[in-house]
Amino acid sequence: MSLTERPPATSAPAKKLPVKQRYSLLTRDLDWEPSYVNRADLYPYTSYEGIVVHDWDGWEDPFRLTVDAYHKYQSEKDKRLYAVLDSFAQSQGHLTLSDASYLNSIKLFIQGVTPLEYAAHRHFAYLARYLEGPAPRFAALCQSIDELRHAQTQIHTISNYNKYYGGFHSWSKMHDRVWYLSVTKSLFDDAMSAGPFEFLVSISFSFEYLLTNLLFVPFMSGASFNGDMPTMSFGFSAQSDESRHMTLGLEAIKFLLEQDEANVPIIQGWIDKWFWRSYRMSALVAGMMDYMLPKPVMSWKEAFELYFEDQMLGGLFPDLAYYGITPPRHVQDAIAEKDKLSHEVYKILHNFSFAAAFTTSTPSDDHMAWLSAQYPDTFDRYYRPTWEKHRSVEAGGGRVFFQGLPQLCQVCQIPIAFTERDDPTRISFRHSEFRGETFHTCSDGCQWIFDREPEKYVQAWLPVHQIYQGNCGGPTVPDVLAWYGIQEGDNGEYAGSPDQQQWAEWHQPAKGGN
Amino acid sequence: MTEQTTLRPVGIDLQESEENRALIDAIKADNPELTVRHMPGLVKLQAAGQIVIKRETVEARLGRPWETGEFQLAIVSYAGNFSEWDDDQIIVRWKH
Amino acid sequence: MAVKALYDYDFPSADRIENFGDDQLVYVHWAGNPLFCSAAAFRAPRATPFGEFVAAMVQPWAASDPEFDPASIAGWQLFDEPLAADPQRSLAELGIGHKSLLTFRTA
Repeated sequence: MSLTERPPATSAPAKKLPVKQRYSLLTRDLDWEPSYVNRADLYPYTSYEGIVVHDWDGWEDPFRLTVDAYHKYQSEKDKRLYAVLDSFAQSQGHLTLSDASYLNSIKLFIQGVTPLEYAAHRHFAYLARYLEGPAPRFAALCQSIDELRHAQTQIHTISNYNKYYGGFHSWSKMHDRVWYLSVTKSLFDDAMSAGPFEFLVSISFSFEYLLTNLLFVPFMSGASFNGDMPTMSFGFSAQSDESRHMTLGLEAIKFLLEQDEANVPIIQGWIDKWFWRSYRMSALVAGMMDYMLPKPVMSWKEAFELYFEDQMLGGLFPDLAYYGITPPRHVQDAIAEKDKLSHEVYKILHNFSFAAAFTTSTPSDDHMAWLSAQYPDTFDRYYRPTWEKHRSVEAGGGRVFFQGLPQLCQVCQIPIAFTERDDPTRISFRHSEFRGETFHTCSDGCQWIFDREPEKYVQAWLPVHQIYQGNCGGPTVPDVLAWYGIQEGDNGEYAGSPDQQQWAEWHQPAKGGN
Repeated sequence: MTEQTTLRPVGIDLQESEENRALIDAIKADNPELTVRHMPGLVKLQAAGQIVIKRETVEARLGRPWETGEFQLAIVSYAGNFSEWDDDQIIVRWKH
Repeated sequence: MAVKALYDYDFPSADRIENFGDDQLVYVHWAGNPLFCSAAAFRAPRATPFGEFVAAMVQPWAASDPEFDPASIAGWQLFDEPLAADPQRSLAELGIGHKSLLTFRTA
């Protein structure tokens, strides 16, 4: 044998440990019982909600991720995504969008959703410390990093549009101040100020499992249908993380239900509350899907039927019935609203976009024909007449905006614009008294939530009431818009806006002879 | 292994990509009743009761070694429960 | 059901009347006009005569609808009860308290 020859292999390459064993060694087996600190001092938040856990080792994680696998797969996803973002930017891909008006949906996304990703990152980091079992702690840690990744990748994805279009520039500041964004912000604040178990049911289960497809697929499919390759790519990249999040949510629910029967009514109450809170927030998605996409994907009604009624009510809840869990308390109201929700929400946005960081438009004839076909029972009878009135005002050179401030729901913080189940012409006003003061809500669902925990909701930072208390920059509309960070061109009517004018210029027919 | 107790549909949504063609072919081969629906960028798989993904079948079609963990790069969403996930197979089904 | 907490959970409401000095909040709904997505919220002194409240605040808002005719306002309600809306009497005197909901129709 010469020195340059390699010795023959004498055995097969060392096998990796099986997934189950690696997972055990790198997560659970790194845990220890505290010996010089009291367990209750180490984990002070896991008793006060009344939830009982007998055995934290009962938590199962089917993905069985370990740190090395996490790093490997996540880096790969990032590499693939950033290649698409670079390519789109380099090829001036924004010019191939269906229309500049499409981007109003993405303005709503970065202002309303991206900050929630960041909030989720922070709260899952807190859970990664304060849950008592190593398996849920590690799953929470992975999710915390995932959510930070989502915030970052959304910001990078959408930053390209900020170079050319209005409304994107101050999303973080606006999230904290602007009226329609308090809808999404207050939902997460409600969850973050609850205990760890309620947070798991509110966000991991209700948001990330029950309603996740309804919340995200419309934005991502809308992106795909309207030429928005970066957002679509972001969506696919994030969705593979979401399947882990869905799993965490489902595991959280089942683990808690299996640990002790006393947990069942507590969890049912949280499911009832959080289905409704997240569903009300999804109204913004309904308005977006039906009214803000030049090329619509499917109607809100169709999406709700597929992603919620079929998959969740038809699939998930029969599974949970085993534990004594029933479908959410006000689910029939949500089902009854599906022919109305998007129209009533878009009316709000259309009325108030002078004070928003996006623009709106009255739907065109073609668009109304599509709405009519999707909503044969309601559109022509209840909503078309109003849009046609707007059209006739606009034909005369005007544009109707709501010259004032709306009445907001104390819980969901959306203007009280939804209607009674049996009468789409009557707004569903509800009100409650607490400590001698009146509080208004928009629905049986929100009223039930208020009455259940009034001490919490009376503290709500309602944008309209804060403006009237002088906490939003000044008494006039321009004062408030300046405090919001809204700039010329961000707001109002799409027709004639800088976005629309630039789009028309950039899409002039090519010059030159042939 | 837990028994299959229900035939309610389970679903997996995968990214439509070159790399995932082999994965989808493998899943079709191991799940004869599978329905496959193509939407922009997305492939929706659905079957009654359960969907099984077997590493060996995927490797045979992919032409290279494949770890079940790589499935995380392909998945977009799912309806059901991951009731098994080890080095050789992944099973999605409803528990009850 | 009280809020579950690790401490005594007791905080003042954000919109209590004390935060508005001599003023209060009032909501006004134009029933039957779908051009307005919702009722409007106003801040007004409790001592404002009702007629002045309508002229100074409600009418300019209602004029968002180009077809609005101030003379056509009729049939005031305070929550679900009819309101004898004497224009000389103040909001407080008429029993229109903080965060009340007023509704009107147009003839």
